[in-house]
Amino acid sequence: MSNSRDLPEHSGLSEHLRQDRLSFPFCRECDRFHWYPKPLCPHCKSAAIEWRAIAGPGEIFSYTVVRHAFDASWQGRLPYIVALITFADAPGVRLVTNVVGVSPDALRIGDAVAPIFPTLDEGETRVLFRPVKASIGKDSRNVAS
Amino acid sequence: MRVSPVAIAGIGQTIPVRRSPRSLRALCIEAVQRALDDAGLAASDVDGIVTDGTIMPATVPRDCIAAQFGIDRRFDAGTSFGGAGSACGPQLAELAIASGRAKVVVYYFGVDWGTRSSGPYGFHDLYPAKMTFEKPYGFNAQPIYFGMWTRRYMHEYGLEESDLARIAVTQRRNALLHPLSQMQTPMTEQNYFAARLVAEPLRVPDCCLITDGACAFVMTSLERARDLRQPPVTVLGTGFGSEAAGGDDVFTQPADLLRITGAKSACAQALREADIALGDVDFAEVYDCFSISCLMQIEELGFCKRGEGAAFIRERGIGIDGGLPVNTHGGLLSHSYLLGVEHVLEAVRQLRRDAGAAQVKDAKIGLVGLWSTPDYGVLLLGRDRA
Repeated sequence: MSNSRDLPEHSGLSEHLRQDRLSFPFCRECDRFHWYPKPLCPHCKSAAIEWRAIAGPGEIFSYTVVRHAFDASWQGRLPYIVALITFADAPGVRLVTNVVGVSPDALRIGDAVAPIFPTLDEGETRVLFRPVKASIGKDSRNVAS
Repeated sequence: MRVSPVAIAGIGQTIPVRRSPRSLRALCIEAVQRALDDAGLAASDVDGIVTDGTIMPATVPRDCIAAQFGIDRRFDAGTSFGGAGSACGPQLAELAIASGRAKVVVYYFGVDWGTRSSGPYGFHDLYPAKMTFEKPYGFNAQPIYFGMWTRRYMHEYGLEESDLARIAVTQRRNALLHPLSQMQTPMTEQNYFAARLVAEPLRVPDCCLITDGACAFVMTSLERARDLRQPPVTVLGTGFGSEAAGGDDVFTQPADLLRITGAKSACAQALREADIALGDVDFAEVYDCFSISCLMQIEELGFCKRGEGAAFIRERGIGIDGGLPVNTHGGLLSHSYLLGVEHVLEAVRQLRRDAGAAQVKDAKIGLVGLWSTPDYGVLLLGRDRA
């Protein structure tokens, strides 16, 4: 399974993230989003799928503060917040991501969040989110996740 | 209640430990030998072998057991993976025995996730979307999935941390009544709240153990089982249910997220086959990979409505003397984590009235509900001439 990152239907998100855009698979046949990517639209089985960019503001559907590193690479980054985000302009999508720039105790389900696009090593793409109310600026590139 | 054609005639297990110096192969062989000895059968009596359909074929395949014991197979099958496979093993055995294809069928299951380097987390690498869209964000272990589910459940239904504590503390108390349980130290509610947070709001005692070990059970016709060493435990009914969700999607994407996929339909099937009502069940052994999933299965199996699990547990009680004794051996939280095959063995002990200090008084019907998302298996067991 080491080549799983190379599934063609998986590539669109990272291509858009390189241009600081958030996008999800959208079916041109039935006009609906879906997530995770699949070769056929899970709603109507059409193959007419494109990656459609969305504006980005989202809402916390749920989250957890992780205090144990299950993978050694996370050891130095504890605690961290993993959240599931929903989007008004991409119904049916729930995105797994990290929320930064907020104290774990201050976060609540339903909080509004906005995407940030950190500068990462070559080949790496990630989108993080910050609370809309918090102090991290829109153009901040200095993101400790 | 239906008169079952098939019975569990023997059970065997290794002593569950965090890390065993022995191979998984050796552990499975020991469990099978013990199950045969318990039944008073010889390996030469066995003509069918059943396992889960995924984990055993990749670790200790059925031909390995056949070769070790000298078993010539007339029936060979596997189903689902992990827990649901163990609950539905008797379903396959019944197909074989009732049709005359086999006379004596052995089921075995074990894991060595205590010593295997990837442990239970190797699971994630099987799923492409998890690798690409989840692991880079540290969403990489089951406690994190269930921490997120628990937070959402609290938001929707008003669960308190003390409700989770009640489940973990009750099951620990049960574990102390069983001599083989991995956890042998008492735990109070105060101990629970002092335990380390793993993925909020879940603490260490909300999470299942990690175990090296194996279990096995032997099935044959009820008629033949009556002549064997142990009182037969009858297979009253079985049910398998699954839903259209893949391993990639099931923890984050289903529209109705907080659901134990397959449980409702598996339970309905098993009850219909057994021709009993859920209220006839005297105790339940359910797949408590986390305290929250134990609670959610109590709801989803139909013992109470969704959102009412905490009140049910508080008011009816799930201890040995409670209204619905649950995980009477301590479950995956405090007995061992062999993905629920140990729950089948515990139900057999209860129905033989052989559960020692953990014995549920007058236990006549037991439900075993095992989950390996998106699959679910329900096994209803009873006593011969109850």
